[in-house]
Amino acid sequence: MDETSRASQAAHHAPPQGFIRNYIFSLDHKIIGKQYYGLALLAVLTGMVLSWLMRIHLVWPNSPVPGLKWLAHTSAPNGVITPEYYLSLMTMHGTLMVFFVLTNAPFAAFGNYFLPIQIGAEDMAFPRFNMMSFWMTFLAFCVLMAALFVGDGPPISGWTAYPPLSAVGAVAGPGQGTGQTLWGLSIAIFCIASLLGSLNFISTTLDLRARGMTLMRMPLSTWAWFITACIALLAFAVLLPACGLLILDRLAGTSFFVPANLVVSDQIQPHSGGSPLLWQHLFWFFGHPEVYIAIVPAMGIVSHILINAMRRPMLSHKVIIYSLMSLGFLSYMVWGHHMFVSGMNPLSSLMFSFPTLVITIPSTILTLIWIGSLYGCKLRITSASLFALGFVSLFVSGGVSGFFLAQPSIDVLLHATYFVVGHFHLVMGVAAIFGVFAATYFWFPKMFGRMMNERLGKIHFWLTFVGAYLIFMPFHYLGMAGNVRRYSAFVNDYLQPLLPVHRFITIAALATGAAQIIFLYNLIHSRFRGEPAPQNPWEATSLEWTVPSPPPWDNFAGKIPVVYHDPYQYGVKGATGDYVMQDSPQKIPTVPEEGRR
Amino acid sequence: MGGSHVVGAHAGHALEESPYRIPSKKLVMWLFIMSDAVTFAALLFAYGYLRNATPGWPRPFHFSPTVINAMIMTFVLVTSGFTMLIAMRAANLGNKAGALRWTFITAVAGIIFALLHIREWIGLIGEGLRLFQNPWGSGLFGAAFFTITGLHLSHVVGGVIALAVVAIGYQRGRYDAGHIEIWGLYWHFVDIVWMFVVPFVYLLNIAH
Amino acid sequence: MNTAGHNRDEMSKDLSGSVAKNFVIYVCMLIIAGLQFVVAYQHIDSSQMFLRMFLLAIVEAGLAVMFFMHMGAERRNFFVTVAIGLVFVLSMMNMIWSDSFRLLRFQVLK
Repeated sequence: MDETSRASQAAHHAPPQGFIRNYIFSLDHKIIGKQYYGLALLAVLTGMVLSWLMRIHLVWPNSPVPGLKWLAHTSAPNGVITPEYYLSLMTMHGTLMVFFVLTNAPFAAFGNYFLPIQIGAEDMAFPRFNMMSFWMTFLAFCVLMAALFVGDGPPISGWTAYPPLSAVGAVAGPGQGTGQTLWGLSIAIFCIASLLGSLNFISTTLDLRARGMTLMRMPLSTWAWFITACIALLAFAVLLPACGLLILDRLAGTSFFVPANLVVSDQIQPHSGGSPLLWQHLFWFFGHPEVYIAIVPAMGIVSHILINAMRRPMLSHKVIIYSLMSLGFLSYMVWGHHMFVSGMNPLSSLMFSFPTLVITIPSTILTLIWIGSLYGCKLRITSASLFALGFVSLFVSGGVSGFFLAQPSIDVLLHATYFVVGHFHLVMGVAAIFGVFAATYFWFPKMFGRMMNERLGKIHFWLTFVGAYLIFMPFHYLGMAGNVRRYSAFVNDYLQPLLPVHRFITIAALATGAAQIIFLYNLIHSRFRGEPAPQNPWEATSLEWTVPSPPPWDNFAGKIPVVYHDPYQYGVKGATGDYVMQDSPQKIPTVPEEGRR
Repeated sequence: MGGSHVVGAHAGHALEESPYRIPSKKLVMWLFIMSDAVTFAALLFAYGYLRNATPGWPRPFHFSPTVINAMIMTFVLVTSGFTMLIAMRAANLGNKAGALRWTFITAVAGIIFALLHIREWIGLIGEGLRLFQNPWGSGLFGAAFFTITGLHLSHVVGGVIALAVVAIGYQRGRYDAGHIEIWGLYWHFVDIVWMFVVPFVYLLNIAH
Repeated sequence: MNTAGHNRDEMSKDLSGSVAKNFVIYVCMLIIAGLQFVVAYQHIDSSQMFLRMFLLAIVEAGLAVMFFMHMGAERRNFFVTVAIGLVFVLSMMNMIWSDSFRLLRFQVLK
């Protein structure tokens, strides 16, 4: 090995000195990954509390929520949530969850921490970009949080911020003044942060792979992060100008998204000539790829973990990679299925319906590979593998309703109902979160050098798994019964017979949310009091398990590994057990595929 | 599954070869250009969408001064692309003085372009063109015009600053020919965007 | 300055070719840009004019990418990756047009 090139590798940034360089403005991808994880944790807890408030309001619309009057004294006088504040909560819940949790946790947090280690690199290709990327995300988070407390509260136009409501300003309702402007600003900043992150992920994956780590030898999780970065590179590029135009509409008086002669709150708006549908096109052109930005990393992580628990490779490594790639391509072809009821050209609806149905093919192939590979294996039951199985289950349950919603004739009836809410919460929201849970239980020992409590982890899994189904399955029933979404309460109207279902969901949501305390306790307690983790507690094969737990600041202590094997050499006779590490020079007897299965 | 020897690893390299065999920084510049191209395209699509949907779209531009000005600006920018190319070439061949000289000329051309652009804006504002209204018809015209040309202008200004920084750093030995090259790529990209802005934003809106 | 992947950053060989060849490209680009201005004053309807200008712009941009940005001298797979990614995403965006024409047809208020 060329000594000088290795030296220059190791010298790309010096060991961090001092607390601030070490833990705050750190260039180390591992610290940045943890920072993303912490931010996502903060965002998910906030978002969860907001969803509790919404659920409470739906069922007990007139009862005060203790403590809320201090937090939002204009929006929730005496702690009673106003209908507008309900919409604010929904907006903030959606924005926090989609951008700061589902994008940050599976992709930015775990990707940052493990992508370089899994390919045998000492850091990301551009550590400074990496640091900027996190701190811009943090800034975006602060700007969004500021919306909770400025003026008359957070915006009410949903995480999709449809104009004209979002574009005409304070006249459209509480929170549509400063709050909505801050929303646009926050998302624009997030787009730039995401761009920096994507550049880093792609160039690192292509350029910094250790010797022998060919593309096809990369673990599936690395592949998923790489593909996600490619999707994010071009998707956020469309949201950025869209947010710019929205902010111009709000602050500079332009009319990109506001039609002429629009009357809002009994006042004719001074805007003229724009098209609200244009925003929907631009937003969903980003929005659908965003769904895959959330779910593809979880798919990769879950595959990675399941293989480890099954002790044998997936039925096909390559088909998984190609399926993930085709999901990436198809995600750009289907955005119109979010707009079937928007007044879009019905012909376009058909054009969008077809690729939407096609996208079920790679999804189904993935599911079949997971299930087919699981068939007949001796699965090691751990918290991580349970959550990975839970992911598969939720992905199927949430995905099946997608077959229905992909067809305009059915979607027109269901789109504005809880059916869609149930669909995307299961397939994109909770499924991706299960991926994050699985990743947390799996990689925590590596990240913090201590084991998590398996017993608590399993209790956490069963409560969360059952809870997720209890919350979101009834949503489908509500939707088919005609329960429209975004209504703040069902007092004295035709939806009252459905109230018991809502009450059930609210109680399930509160209980499932409370069950997360187990997870938080486990996380914090294990961080300080957990059993010290060995280097390779799961007997896994990929490179992150060849380094100490936690890894030194340059990952491989100056000794860049050489890779000899495909990532998942399980079920073969190795020196230490039924597996061979990727960097082990040991020869593997070529056993026919049958013998391995 | 199950190869037992190193495939694709080359002796003397600690790392696996990149499939594209280009330096990391250049790759990142290309990726940024892709992303930025989509950003500009989204704006141009939005403009086209609104233009299609608006009956009686204003066509206020006359041969003099706007079209003549656009011609000069196009000439300046395309020429700056050529001078940038000479600078990139000189840097790659190790001709430091030549690279500095031509980068400097390129930056000056960029400044001329920006000044011409600002002069044009001031003229149009004098005629009553605003972001939200204008004397000729739909207020969307000014919104689209200023947004698209404004974003392009900010890219030109950013490019001039970047070229200046890189040239100074190159002179002091902080940056190498690779840096001149990637900022050259960026400069050409700004040039390419202009090739689409001119016909769609200017030439389709000429008064007949 | 970070130099991760330093061995990737060794000075690249010159990809741009001779100045004379590039001067010819430069003149071609000026001619194409000039043609756009000529098209602008042809007496044809807007869609025809748009089409001609668009094609000219594509050719001009193609020259710039292939020669000024040296895409022609990079490895072919890089060109294919960038082209497929961009062309695919940009062509998908064209799905928005039908709605913009419908807006025109449905216009009731001036």
